[in-house]
Amino acid sequence: MIAGLLAAALVLGAAPSGPTAEAPPREAALADDALPDGPGRALLRERCLVCHSAEYVTQQRLTAGQWQKTVEKMRKFGANLADDEAKVLTDYLARGWPVGLPDQAPAPVKPPTGSAPLR
Amino acid sequence: MRMSRRTFLTTSLGAAAAWWVETPTFARAADGASLIPRTTRPPNYESVRSTFTTRLTPLDRFYLRNHFDVPEVDLQTWRLQVQGLVEKPLTLALSDLERLPQATVEAVLQCSGNGRGLFVPRVPGVQWRVGAVGNATWTGARLRDVLALSRPKAQGRHLHLRGAEVPPLSTTPPFLRGIPLEKALHPDTILALKMNGGPIPPYHGSPLRLVLPGWVANDWMKWLGVVEVSADEPKGFFYETAYRFPTRPGAPGAAVPPEATAPMTKLKVKSIIGSVEDGSVLEPGVHEIVGVAFSGGAGIASVEVSFDGGKSWHRAALDNPPTRYGFRVFRYRWRSDRPGHYVVASRATDTSGATQPSEPVWNPGGYLHNAIDRVAVEMRA
Repeated sequence: MIAGLLAAALVLGAAPSGPTAEAPPREAALADDALPDGPGRALLRERCLVCHSAEYVTQQRLTAGQWQKTVEKMRKFGANLADDEAKVLTDYLARGWPVGLPDQAPAPVKPPTGSAPLR
Repeated sequence: MRMSRRTFLTTSLGAAAAWWVETPTFARAADGASLIPRTTRPPNYESVRSTFTTRLTPLDRFYLRNHFDVPEVDLQTWRLQVQGLVEKPLTLALSDLERLPQATVEAVLQCSGNGRGLFVPRVPGVQWRVGAVGNATWTGARLRDVLALSRPKAQGRHLHLRGAEVPPLSTTPPFLRGIPLEKALHPDTILALKMNGGPIPPYHGSPLRLVLPGWVANDWMKWLGVVEVSADEPKGFFYETAYRFPTRPGAPGAAVPPEATAPMTKLKVKSIIGSVEDGSVLEPGVHEIVGVAFSGGAGIASVEVSFDGGKSWHRAALDNPPTRYGFRVFRYRWRSDRPGHYVVASRATDTSGATQPSEPVWNPGGYLHNAIDRVAVEMRA
Protein backbone atom coordinates (compact mmCIF):
# COMPACT_ATOMS: atom_id res chain seq x y z
CA MET A 1 0.00 0.00 0.00
CA ILE A 2 2.77 2.45 0.89
CA ALA A 3 4.52 1.64 -2.36
CA GLY A 4 1.27 2.29 -4.19
CA LEU A 5 0.82 5.65 -2.52
CA LEU A 6 4.37 6.63 -3.35
CA ALA A 7 3.81 5.63 -6.94
CA ALA A 8 0.60 7.66 -7.04
CA ALA A 9 2.49 10.66 -5.69
CA LEU A 10 5.14 10.22 -8.38
CA VAL A 11 2.50 10.12 -11.10
CA LEU A 12 0.93 13.27 -9.68
CA GLY A 13 4.31 14.95 -9.46
CA ALA A 14 4.86 14.30 -13.15
CA ALA A 15 1.66 16.04 -14.16
CA PRO A 16 2.10 19.47 -15.76
CA SER A 17 -0.96 20.86 -14.05
CA GLY A 18 -2.01 18.07 -11.79
CA PRO A 19 -4.63 17.85 -9.09
CA THR A 20 -3.78 18.19 -5.45
CA ALA A 21 -3.31 14.93 -3.62
CA GLU A 22 -6.20 15.68 -1.29
CA ALA A 23 -9.68 15.27 -2.62
CA PRO A 24 -11.89 18.39 -2.36
CA PRO A 25 -14.49 18.28 0.43
CA ARG A 26 -17.40 17.18 -1.74
CA GLU A 27 -15.56 14.17 -3.10
CA ALA A 28 -14.26 13.33 0.33
CA ALA A 29 -17.80 13.37 1.69
CA LEU A 30 -19.01 11.17 -1.12
CA ALA A 31 -16.14 8.80 -0.58
CA ASP A 32 -16.95 8.49 3.09
CA ASP A 33 -20.72 8.31 2.88
CA ALA A 34 -21.59 6.72 -0.42
CA LEU A 35 -18.87 4.26 -1.24
CA PRO A 36 -19.59 0.77 0.06
CA ASP A 37 -17.01 -0.97 2.15
CA GLY A 38 -14.80 -3.46 0.40
CA PRO A 39 -11.21 -4.24 -0.56
CA GLY A 40 -11.35 -1.92 -3.58
CA ARG A 41 -12.57 1.19 -1.78
CA ALA A 42 -9.13 2.46 -0.85
CA LEU A 43 -7.94 1.95 -4.43
CA LEU A 44 -10.92 3.90 -5.73
CA ARG A 45 -10.23 6.77 -3.37
CA GLU A 46 -6.49 6.88 -3.89
CA ARG A 47 -6.07 6.06 -7.58
CA CYS A 48 -9.29 7.30 -9.20
CA LEU A 49 -10.58 10.24 -7.18
CA VAL A 50 -7.29 12.13 -7.51
CA CYS A 51 -8.35 13.02 -11.05
CA HIS A 52 -12.16 12.99 -11.01
CA SER A 53 -15.09 13.00 -8.64
CA ALA A 54 -16.84 9.88 -7.37
CA GLU A 55 -19.97 10.41 -9.47
CA TYR A 56 -18.01 9.16 -12.48
CA VAL A 57 -18.32 5.80 -10.78
CA THR A 58 -21.53 6.01 -8.78
CA GLN A 59 -23.77 7.00 -11.73
CA GLN A 60 -22.73 3.99 -13.85
CA ARG A 61 -24.73 0.77 -14.09
CA LEU A 62 -22.44 -1.63 -15.90
CA THR A 63 -21.67 -5.30 -16.43
CA ALA A 64 -18.45 -6.78 -15.07
CA GLY A 65 -17.07 -6.78 -18.61
CA GLN A 66 -17.85 -3.09 -19.06
CA TRP A 67 -16.20 -2.30 -15.73
CA GLN A 68 -13.10 -4.22 -16.76
CA LYS A 69 -12.85 -2.25 -20.02
CA THR A 70 -13.36 1.00 -18.12
CA VAL A 71 -10.54 0.20 -15.68
CA GLU A 72 -8.25 -0.74 -18.57
CA LYS A 73 -9.07 2.54 -20.32
CA MET A 74 -8.23 4.46 -17.15
CA ARG A 75 -4.95 2.58 -16.80
CA LYS A 76 -4.07 3.69 -20.34
CA PHE A 77 -4.93 7.24 -19.25
CA GLY A 78 -2.42 6.92 -16.42
CA ALA A 79 -4.32 5.47 -13.46
CA ASN A 80 -1.67 3.92 -11.25
CA LEU A 81 -2.89 0.33 -10.84
CA ALA A 82 -0.85 -2.84 -10.86
CA ASP A 83 -2.47 -5.92 -12.44
CA ASP A 84 -3.61 -7.38 -9.11
CA GLU A 85 -4.91 -4.00 -7.94
CA ALA A 86 -6.84 -3.53 -11.18
CA LYS A 87 -8.55 -6.87 -10.56
CA VAL A 88 -9.49 -5.95 -6.99
CA LEU A 89 -10.82 -2.58 -8.16
CA THR A 90 -12.76 -4.09 -11.08
CA ASP A 91 -14.44 -6.62 -8.78
CA TYR A 92 -15.33 -3.84 -6.33
CA LEU A 93 -16.84 -1.66 -9.07
CA ALA A 94 -18.77 -4.55 -10.62
CA ARG A 95 -20.20 -5.49 -7.24
CA GLY A 96 -21.00 -1.91 -6.21
CA TRP A 97 -22.56 -0.49 -9.38
CA PRO A 98 -24.06 -3.32 -11.43
CA VAL A 99 -26.78 -3.24 -14.06
CA GLY A 100 -30.15 -3.06 -12.33
CA LEU A 101 -29.08 -0.96 -9.34
CA PRO A 102 -31.65 1.88 -9.05
CA ASP A 103 -30.49 5.12 -10.65
CA GLN A 104 -29.51 8.19 -8.69
CA ALA A 105 -31.64 11.33 -8.96
CA PRO A 106 -29.29 14.14 -7.92
CA ALA A 107 -31.01 17.32 -6.70
CA PRO A 108 -30.57 20.38 -8.93
CA VAL A 109 -28.09 23.01 -7.76
CA LYS A 110 -27.46 26.66 -8.50
CA PRO A 111 -25.18 27.41 -11.45
CA PRO A 112 -21.66 28.74 -10.97
CA THR A 113 -21.03 32.46 -10.99
CA GLY A 114 -18.04 34.09 -12.63
CA SER A 115 -15.07 31.81 -12.74
CA ALA A 116 -15.56 30.41 -9.24
CA PRO A 117 -14.80 26.71 -8.98
CA LEU A 118 -17.98 24.69 -9.17
CA ARG A 119 -17.72 22.45 -6.15
CA MET B 1 -39.88 35.62 -3.90
CA ARG B 2 -41.36 34.06 -6.97
CA MET B 3 -40.20 36.05 -9.94
CA SER B 4 -42.43 35.92 -12.97
CA ARG B 5 -41.05 33.89 -15.80
CA ARG B 6 -40.99 36.84 -18.16
CA THR B 7 -39.16 39.06 -15.68
CA PHE B 8 -36.66 36.31 -14.92
CA LEU B 9 -35.87 35.63 -18.53
CA THR B 10 -35.83 39.22 -19.66
CA THR B 11 -33.42 40.05 -16.86
CA SER B 12 -31.24 37.10 -17.75
CA LEU B 13 -31.08 37.62 -21.47
CA GLY B 14 -31.04 41.36 -21.81
CA ALA B 15 -33.33 43.55 -23.82
CA ALA B 16 -31.65 42.78 -27.13
CA ALA B 17 -32.96 39.23 -27.13
CA ALA B 18 -36.26 39.89 -25.38
CA TRP B 19 -38.33 39.62 -28.54
CA TRP B 20 -37.55 35.92 -28.61
CA VAL B 21 -38.67 35.32 -25.07
CA GLU B 22 -41.86 33.34 -24.74
CA THR B 23 -44.22 33.14 -21.81
CA PRO B 24 -44.69 29.54 -20.82
CA THR B 25 -47.29 28.49 -18.32
CA PHE B 26 -44.77 26.58 -16.29
CA ALA B 27 -41.90 27.94 -14.23
CA ARG B 28 -39.75 25.88 -11.97
CA ALA B 29 -36.32 26.26 -10.48
CA ALA B 30 -37.32 29.77 -9.41
CA ASP B 31 -34.90 29.42 -6.52
CA GLY B 32 -32.07 29.22 -9.02
CA ALA B 33 -31.39 25.49 -8.71
CA SER B 34 -31.34 24.94 -12.45
CA LEU B 35 -28.56 22.43 -13.08
CA ILE B 36 -28.42 18.73 -12.23
CA PRO B 37 -24.94 17.60 -11.22
CA ARG B 38 -23.77 14.56 -13.14
CA THR B 39 -20.14 14.97 -12.10
CA THR B 40 -18.61 17.73 -9.98
CA ARG B 41 -15.01 17.33 -11.10
CA PRO B 42 -14.65 18.04 -13.90
CA PRO B 43 -17.91 19.98 -13.97
CA ASN B 44 -20.65 18.21 -15.92
CA TYR B 45 -24.13 19.55 -15.20
CA GLU B 46 -27.33 19.20 -17.22
CA SER B 47 -30.26 21.60 -17.41
CA VAL B 48 -33.46 20.78 -15.55
CA ARG B 49 -36.33 19.85 -17.85
CA SER B 50 -38.26 23.08 -17.17
CA THR B 51 -35.47 24.92 -19.06
CA PHE B 52 -36.91 23.75 -22.35
CA THR B 53 -39.82 26.14 -22.71
CA THR B 54 -38.06 29.13 -24.28
CA ARG B 55 -36.30 29.79 -27.53
CA LEU B 56 -33.02 30.96 -26.03
CA THR B 57 -31.50 29.19 -23.05
CA PRO B 58 -30.45 31.62 -20.29
CA LEU B 59 -26.79 31.26 -19.32
CA ASP B 60 -27.66 30.35 -15.73
CA ARG B 61 -29.64 27.37 -17.01
CA PHE B 62 -27.20 26.29 -19.72
CA TYR B 63 -25.62 22.85 -19.35
CA LEU B 64 -21.90 22.44 -18.67
CA ARG B 65 -19.73 19.72 -20.15
CA ASN B 66 -16.00 19.42 -19.50
CA HIS B 67 -13.41 16.71 -20.02
CA PHE B 68 -10.88 18.20 -17.61
CA ASP B 69 -10.65 20.98 -15.04
CA VAL B 70 -11.70 24.39 -16.34
CA PRO B 71 -8.51 26.28 -17.33
CA GLU B 72 -7.72 29.74 -16.06
CA VAL B 73 -7.23 32.10 -18.96
CA ASP B 74 -5.61 35.57 -19.04
CA LEU B 75 -7.55 37.62 -21.59
CA GLN B 76 -4.66 40.08 -22.00
CA THR B 77 -2.15 37.50 -23.11
CA TRP B 78 -4.57 35.20 -24.90
CA ARG B 79 -3.66 34.47 -28.52
CA LEU B 80 -5.14 32.36 -31.29
CA GLN B 81 -2.49 30.60 -33.37
CA VAL B 82 -3.32 29.77 -36.98
CA GLN B 83 -0.65 27.45 -38.28
CA GLY B 84 0.19 24.35 -40.31
CA LEU B 85 -0.39 24.24 -44.07
CA VAL B 86 -0.94 27.97 -44.50
CA GLU B 87 0.91 30.60 -46.54
CA LYS B 88 0.93 32.99 -43.59
CA PRO B 89 0.87 31.71 -39.99
CA LEU B 90 -0.99 34.09 -37.69
CA THR B 91 -0.95 35.01 -34.02
CA LEU B 92 -4.14 36.91 -33.21
CA ALA B 93 -5.11 38.78 -30.05
CA LEU B 94 -8.73 39.13 -29.05
CA SER B 95 -8.67 42.71 -30.30
CA ASP B 96 -7.62 41.44 -33.75
CA LEU B 97 -10.64 39.15 -33.83
CA GLU B 98 -12.92 41.96 -32.64
CA ARG B 99 -11.78 44.17 -35.52
CA LEU B 100 -12.90 41.65 -38.13
CA PRO B 101 -16.53 41.78 -39.37
CA GLN B 102 -18.76 40.32 -36.63
CA ALA B 103 -21.54 37.83 -37.31
CA THR B 104 -24.27 36.52 -35.00
CA VAL B 105 -25.72 33.02 -35.38
CA GLU B 106 -28.42 31.40 -33.26
CA ALA B 107 -27.57 27.72 -32.80
CA VAL B 108 -28.22 24.74 -30.57
CA LEU B 109 -25.29 23.34 -28.64
CA GLN B 110 -25.89 19.69 -27.78
CA CYS B 111 -23.50 17.19 -26.25
CA SER B 112 -23.38 14.16 -28.53
CA GLY B 113 -23.90 12.04 -25.38
CA ASN B 114 -27.14 13.78 -24.41
CA GLY B 115 -29.54 10.93 -23.57
CA ARG B 116 -26.77 8.39 -22.87
CA GLY B 117 -28.41 7.50 -19.57
CA LEU B 118 -31.55 6.41 -21.42
CA PHE B 119 -29.93 3.68 -23.54
CA VAL B 120 -30.71 0.03 -22.86
CA PRO B 121 -28.43 -1.82 -22.43
CA ARG B 122 -26.53 0.81 -20.47
CA VAL B 123 -23.21 2.20 -21.67
CA PRO B 124 -20.40 3.86 -19.68
CA GLY B 125 -19.92 7.63 -19.66
CA VAL B 126 -21.64 10.67 -18.19
CA GLN B 127 -25.24 9.56 -17.73
CA TRP B 128 -26.98 12.53 -19.34
CA ARG B 129 -30.74 12.29 -19.66
CA VAL B 130 -32.41 15.13 -21.60
CA GLY B 131 -30.65 18.30 -20.48
CA ALA B 132 -27.20 18.39 -22.11
CA VAL B 133 -28.46 20.83 -24.73
CA GLY B 134 -29.18 24.55 -25.02
CA ASN B 135 -29.78 27.27 -27.59
CA ALA B 136 -27.86 30.55 -27.68
CA THR B 137 -26.82 33.36 -29.95
CA TRP B 138 -23.12 33.33 -30.78
CA THR B 139 -21.25 36.39 -32.00
CA GLY B 140 -17.76 36.73 -33.40
CA ALA B 141 -15.59 36.67 -36.50
CA ARG B 142 -16.26 34.14 -39.21
CA LEU B 143 -13.59 31.44 -39.26
CA ARG B 144 -13.39 31.77 -43.04
CA ASP B 145 -12.36 35.42 -42.71
CA VAL B 146 -9.46 34.39 -40.46
CA LEU B 147 -8.50 31.58 -42.83
CA ALA B 148 -8.60 34.03 -45.75
CA LEU B 149 -5.90 36.08 -43.98
CA SER B 150 -3.82 32.95 -43.42
CA ARG B 151 -4.41 31.39 -46.87
CA PRO B 152 -4.49 27.57 -46.48
CA LYS B 153 -2.34 25.70 -48.96
CA ALA B 154 -3.96 23.49 -51.60
CA GLN B 155 -3.18 20.25 -49.76
CA GLY B 156 -4.92 21.47 -46.56
CA ARG B 157 -8.05 19.39 -45.97
CA HIS B 158 -8.66 19.40 -42.21
CA LEU B 159 -8.48 21.79 -39.29
CA HIS B 160 -7.01 20.47 -36.05
CA LEU B 161 -8.38 22.24 -32.98
CA ARG B 162 -6.80 22.64 -29.56
CA GLY B 163 -8.06 24.48 -26.49
CA ALA B 164 -6.40 25.49 -23.24
CA GLU B 165 -7.65 22.63 -21.07
CA VAL B 166 -4.95 20.40 -19.61
CA PRO B 167 -5.43 16.72 -18.66
CA PRO B 168 -4.98 15.90 -14.98
CA LEU B 169 -2.06 13.56 -15.70
CA SER B 170 0.71 13.81 -18.27
CA THR B 171 -0.26 10.32 -19.43
CA THR B 172 -3.89 11.29 -20.09
CA PRO B 173 -4.54 12.09 -23.77
CA PRO B 174 -5.14 15.79 -24.52
CA PHE B 175 -8.54 16.85 -25.81
CA LEU B 176 -8.29 17.59 -29.50
CA ARG B 177 -10.71 17.60 -32.38
CA GLY B 178 -10.68 18.07 -36.14
CA ILE B 179 -13.16 19.32 -38.72
CA PRO B 180 -13.09 19.20 -42.51
CA LEU B 181 -12.05 22.43 -44.22
CA GLU B 182 -15.47 22.75 -45.92
CA LYS B 183 -17.20 23.14 -42.54
CA ALA B 184 -14.55 25.65 -41.42
CA LEU B 185 -15.23 27.76 -44.51
CA HIS B 186 -19.02 27.75 -44.05
CA PRO B 187 -20.26 31.32 -43.51
CA ASP B 188 -22.12 30.29 -40.33
CA THR B 189 -18.98 28.90 -38.66
CA ILE B 190 -18.00 31.47 -36.04
CA LEU B 191 -15.07 32.14 -33.72
CA ALA B 192 -17.41 33.26 -30.96
CA LEU B 193 -16.45 35.95 -28.45
CA LYS B 194 -20.01 36.37 -27.19
CA MET B 195 -22.82 34.07 -26.05
CA ASN B 196 -26.35 35.46 -25.74
CA GLY B 197 -24.94 38.93 -26.27
CA GLY B 198 -22.38 38.95 -23.44
CA PRO B 199 -18.84 37.65 -23.01
CA ILE B 200 -18.60 33.86 -23.08
CA PRO B 201 -18.44 32.66 -19.44
CA PRO B 202 -15.36 30.68 -18.34
CA TYR B 203 -17.29 27.42 -18.20
CA HIS B 204 -18.40 27.87 -21.80
CA GLY B 205 -14.91 28.53 -23.17
CA SER B 206 -13.94 32.13 -22.45
CA PRO B 207 -12.63 33.99 -24.33
CA LEU B 208 -13.00 32.11 -27.61
CA ARG B 209 -15.16 29.20 -28.67
CA LEU B 210 -15.61 27.63 -32.07
CA VAL B 211 -19.28 27.54 -33.10
CA LEU B 212 -20.39 24.97 -35.68
CA PRO B 213 -24.13 25.46 -36.21
CA GLY B 214 -25.99 22.21 -36.82
CA TRP B 215 -23.13 20.03 -35.56
CA VAL B 216 -22.68 18.14 -32.31
CA ALA B 217 -20.90 19.99 -29.50
CA ASN B 218 -17.71 17.94 -29.32
CA ASP B 219 -16.18 19.96 -32.16
CA TRP B 220 -17.18 23.35 -30.65
CA MET B 221 -13.75 23.74 -29.09
CA LYS B 222 -13.68 25.86 -25.94
CA TRP B 223 -10.77 28.13 -24.88
CA LEU B 224 -9.71 27.80 -28.51
CA GLY B 225 -5.99 28.53 -28.88
CA VAL B 226 -4.69 26.62 -31.88
CA VAL B 227 -6.14 26.09 -35.34
CA GLU B 228 -3.85 23.99 -37.51
CA VAL B 229 -4.46 23.31 -41.18
CA SER B 230 -3.46 19.76 -42.09
CA ALA B 231 -3.72 17.32 -44.95
CA ASP B 232 -4.91 14.61 -42.58
CA GLU B 233 -7.40 14.00 -39.82
CA PRO B 234 -6.00 14.35 -36.27
CA LYS B 235 -4.44 11.49 -34.33
CA GLY B 236 -5.29 10.73 -30.73
CA PHE B 237 -7.84 9.17 -28.43
CA PHE B 238 -10.38 11.98 -28.60
CA TYR B 239 -10.59 11.75 -32.39
CA GLU B 240 -9.68 8.18 -33.34
CA THR B 241 -11.48 6.38 -30.50
CA ALA B 242 -13.99 8.68 -28.80
CA TYR B 243 -16.86 10.59 -30.39
CA ARG B 244 -17.44 8.14 -33.22
CA PHE B 245 -20.70 6.59 -34.38
CA PRO B 246 -21.12 3.20 -36.08
CA THR B 247 -21.39 3.50 -39.85
CA ARG B 248 -23.74 0.50 -39.76
CA PRO B 249 -25.31 0.23 -36.30
CA GLY B 250 -25.93 -3.31 -35.09
CA ALA B 251 -28.02 -4.96 -32.42
CA PRO B 252 -28.21 -3.32 -28.99
CA GLY B 253 -25.22 -4.41 -26.92
CA ALA B 254 -23.17 -5.56 -29.90
CA ALA B 255 -19.51 -4.50 -30.11
CA VAL B 256 -18.48 -2.25 -33.00
CA PRO B 257 -14.90 -2.38 -34.41
CA PRO B 258 -13.20 1.06 -34.67
CA GLU B 259 -12.89 0.81 -38.46
CA ALA B 260 -16.70 0.62 -38.70
CA THR B 261 -17.12 4.06 -37.09
CA ALA B 262 -16.88 7.68 -38.21
CA PRO B 263 -16.81 11.07 -36.45
CA MET B 264 -20.24 12.53 -35.76
CA THR B 265 -21.24 15.73 -37.52
CA LYS B 266 -24.89 16.80 -37.76
CA LEU B 267 -27.42 16.80 -34.97
CA LYS B 268 -30.45 14.56 -35.40
CA VAL B 269 -34.00 15.93 -35.25
CA LYS B 270 -35.21 15.97 -31.65
CA SER B 271 -37.81 17.45 -29.32
CA ILE B 272 -37.87 17.96 -25.55
CA ILE B 273 -40.95 18.54 -23.42
CA GLY B 274 -40.33 21.31 -20.87
CA SER B 275 -43.64 22.19 -19.24
CA VAL B 276 -44.15 18.91 -17.39
CA GLU B 277 -41.76 16.34 -15.99
CA ASP B 278 -41.92 12.78 -14.73
CA GLY B 279 -44.12 12.72 -11.65
CA SER B 280 -45.91 16.01 -12.36
CA VAL B 281 -49.42 16.03 -10.87
CA LEU B 282 -51.98 18.02 -12.86
CA GLU B 283 -55.57 19.00 -12.14
CA PRO B 284 -58.18 17.98 -14.70
CA GLY B 285 -58.71 20.75 -17.24
CA VAL B 286 -56.58 22.49 -19.85
CA HIS B 287 -52.79 22.42 -19.74
CA GLU B 288 -50.46 23.99 -22.25
CA ILE B 289 -47.76 21.48 -23.16
CA VAL B 290 -44.65 23.45 -24.14
CA GLY B 291 -41.29 22.23 -25.39
CA VAL B 292 -38.53 22.82 -27.92
CA ALA B 293 -37.52 21.08 -31.13
CA PHE B 294 -34.40 21.31 -33.27
CA SER B 295 -32.49 19.65 -36.06
CA GLY B 296 -29.06 19.70 -37.72
CA GLY B 297 -29.76 22.62 -40.02
CA ALA B 298 -32.94 21.64 -41.84
CA GLY B 299 -35.27 23.50 -39.48
CA ILE B 300 -38.39 22.07 -37.86
CA ALA B 301 -41.44 21.31 -40.04
CA SER B 302 -43.80 19.97 -37.37
CA VAL B 303 -44.11 18.69 -33.83
CA GLU B 304 -46.82 16.27 -32.76
CA VAL B 305 -47.83 15.32 -29.25
CA SER B 306 -49.53 12.20 -27.92
CA PHE B 307 -51.21 11.34 -24.64
CA ASP B 308 -52.22 7.72 -25.29
CA GLY B 309 -48.95 5.88 -25.81
CA GLY B 310 -48.59 6.98 -29.41
CA LYS B 311 -51.92 5.66 -30.67
CA SER B 312 -53.03 9.16 -31.70
CA TRP B 313 -50.94 12.27 -32.41
CA HIS B 314 -51.95 15.94 -32.36
CA ARG B 315 -50.17 18.73 -34.21
CA ALA B 316 -48.65 21.37 -31.93
CA ALA B 317 -48.37 25.06 -32.81
CA LEU B 318 -44.85 26.35 -33.55
CA ASP B 319 -43.69 29.76 -32.36
CA ASN B 320 -42.34 32.14 -34.98
CA PRO B 321 -40.02 33.07 -36.51
CA PRO B 322 -38.61 29.76 -37.81
CA THR B 323 -34.96 29.01 -37.13
CA ARG B 324 -32.49 26.93 -39.07
CA TYR B 325 -30.20 25.93 -36.22
CA GLY B 326 -32.02 27.04 -33.07
CA PHE B 327 -34.81 25.84 -30.77
CA ARG B 328 -38.35 26.06 -32.19
CA VAL B 329 -40.80 26.32 -29.30
CA PHE B 330 -43.93 24.17 -29.67
CA ARG B 331 -47.22 24.42 -27.78
CA TYR B 332 -50.34 22.32 -27.49
CA ARG B 333 -53.40 23.00 -25.34
CA TRP B 334 -54.21 19.64 -23.81
CA ARG B 335 -57.69 19.23 -22.37
CA SER B 336 -58.46 16.22 -20.25
CA ASP B 337 -61.06 15.82 -17.53
CA ARG B 338 -60.31 12.19 -16.79
CA PRO B 339 -58.04 11.51 -13.80
CA GLY B 340 -55.38 8.88 -14.30
CA HIS B 341 -51.82 8.27 -15.43
CA TYR B 342 -50.70 9.63 -18.80
CA VAL B 343 -47.53 9.56 -20.88
CA VAL B 344 -47.06 12.89 -22.65
CA ALA B 345 -44.96 12.30 -25.78
CA SER B 346 -43.51 14.63 -28.43
CA ARG B 347 -42.25 13.82 -31.92
CA ALA B 348 -40.56 16.35 -34.22
CA THR B 349 -40.07 16.21 -37.98
CA ASP B 350 -37.65 18.47 -39.85
CA THR B 351 -37.99 20.02 -43.30
CA SER B 352 -35.92 17.21 -44.86
CA GLY B 353 -38.57 14.72 -43.70
CA ALA B 354 -36.48 13.18 -40.91
CA THR B 355 -38.57 12.32 -37.86
CA GLN B 356 -37.84 11.04 -34.37
CA PRO B 357 -37.89 7.25 -34.02
CA SER B 358 -39.75 5.40 -31.29
CA GLU B 359 -36.48 3.91 -30.02
CA PRO B 360 -32.95 5.35 -30.28
CA VAL B 361 -30.23 3.84 -32.46
CA TRP B 362 -28.19 1.94 -29.87
CA ASN B 363 -24.44 2.45 -30.08
CA PRO B 364 -21.58 1.66 -27.65
CA GLY B 365 -20.81 5.34 -26.97
CA GLY B 366 -24.40 6.23 -26.14
CA TYR B 367 -24.41 9.02 -28.72
CA LEU B 368 -27.12 10.92 -30.63
CA HIS B 369 -30.15 9.72 -28.67
CA ASN B 370 -33.15 11.21 -30.43
CA ALA B 371 -36.07 8.91 -29.67
CA ILE B 372 -39.53 10.37 -29.09
CA ASP B 373 -39.55 12.25 -25.77
CA ARG B 374 -41.84 10.80 -23.11
CA VAL B 375 -42.93 12.19 -19.72
CA ALA B 376 -45.11 10.27 -17.25
CA VAL B 377 -47.63 12.50 -15.44
CA GLU B 378 -50.69 11.99 -13.27
CA MET B 379 -53.97 13.83 -13.56
CA ARG B 380 -55.62 13.95 -10.17
CA ALA B 381 -58.88 15.65 -9.17
